[in-house]
Amino acid sequence: MKKSIYVLAFSVLLLGACKNDKKQVESNEMQTKEMQMDTDDGHDHSSMDESTMHENKDIEATTQKSASTSEIIDRYLQIKNSLAEDNSKKAAEGGKMMLAAFSNFDMNKLSESQYKEYMEILEDAKEHAEHISDSPIDHQREHFENLSTDLNDLISLLGTNKTLYVTYCPMYNNKKGAIWLSETKTIKNPYLGSKMPTCGEIQKQIN
Amino acid sequence: MVVLVGIQFIPTTRNQSVLILQTDFNNTFQVPNNVQQILKISCYDCHSNNTNYPWYNKIQPASWLLENHIKEGKKELNFSEFGTYSKRRQKNKLKSIINQIKKDEMPLYSYTLIHKDAKLSERNKKDLIDWLSKQKDSIEK
Repeated sequence: MKKSIYVLAFSVLLLGACKNDKKQVESNEMQTKEMQMDTDDGHDHSSMDESTMHENKDIEATTQKSASTSEIIDRYLQIKNSLAEDNSKKAAEGGKMMLAAFSNFDMNKLSESQYKEYMEILEDAKEHAEHISDSPIDHQREHFENLSTDLNDLISLLGTNKTLYVTYCPMYNNKKGAIWLSETKTIKNPYLGSKMPTCGEIQKQIN
Repeated sequence: MVVLVGIQFIPTTRNQSVLILQTDFNNTFQVPNNVQQILKISCYDCHSNNTNYPWYNKIQPASWLLENHIKEGKKELNFSEFGTYSKRRQKNKLKSIINQIKKDEMPLYSYTLIHKDAKLSERNKKDLIDWLSKQKDSIEK
């Protein structure tokens, strides 16, 4: 069953057609895939890739790398924006969705060396996402700080096609400072929220 | 689960010597004696494979509640298995430990209410935080 979810998620990503909340549309497709999977050896991922590649050959070539980290980054940005608005509940939802995004990620595409580091980042990031999904805002922010480091490392490892800004807030954490990733140049501080919304400076642009 | 049930029948002192793993916090870092002592008294009951059970553990539902509590505690942080965490995770765990101590979130109030000796004095807190911060900064990733 888990496999079929991966297949579904993978095909959704490649098609780039639907968001998660429209899963029902794909449910038929999922059943077909599930049946295909049942006939396959559970560990033979190449056949799974082939079946999806066959359908999406053209799209595959252009979106392969970046499509994989996009959903994770989107969820991260959702948490970031919610924290900037001091909206703990929305951040918590983002945390939950981030966990889903991680399970939707297709690890079979990773090289051996990437795999090891990815697993370390994943293990750590999932824990932060869990805490964010179930904590008061101060604690969410604490874990968001670590999550930001993880995401930054994840992007260095696997890349993205998004334009992002590594932004630095020197005030957070008793002036120890912390970074976050943003999709805009406009500073909206997720650590201090409305207390100091514009505190921060862009350190680096990704893409 | 089996271990936790089994522990009830083994004298505590013996149990402590049996369960020290290679991955234990004390094998991951050079932990000074005073820090070891504080961790053992204030943290290990819920955050290690080695619980020093109180007398009321023999009574239900206290026993069941404690078991759940320890399960949760170990899931978050297990000093007995600290060495199995990646460097990235070790560093973040140390950071979280420091934050929890600073904010007086840990040890839990409900725990120190009964275990008076587990309550951290200001001196204890400073010793812990100073040493833990040094270890945290010494980890590259």
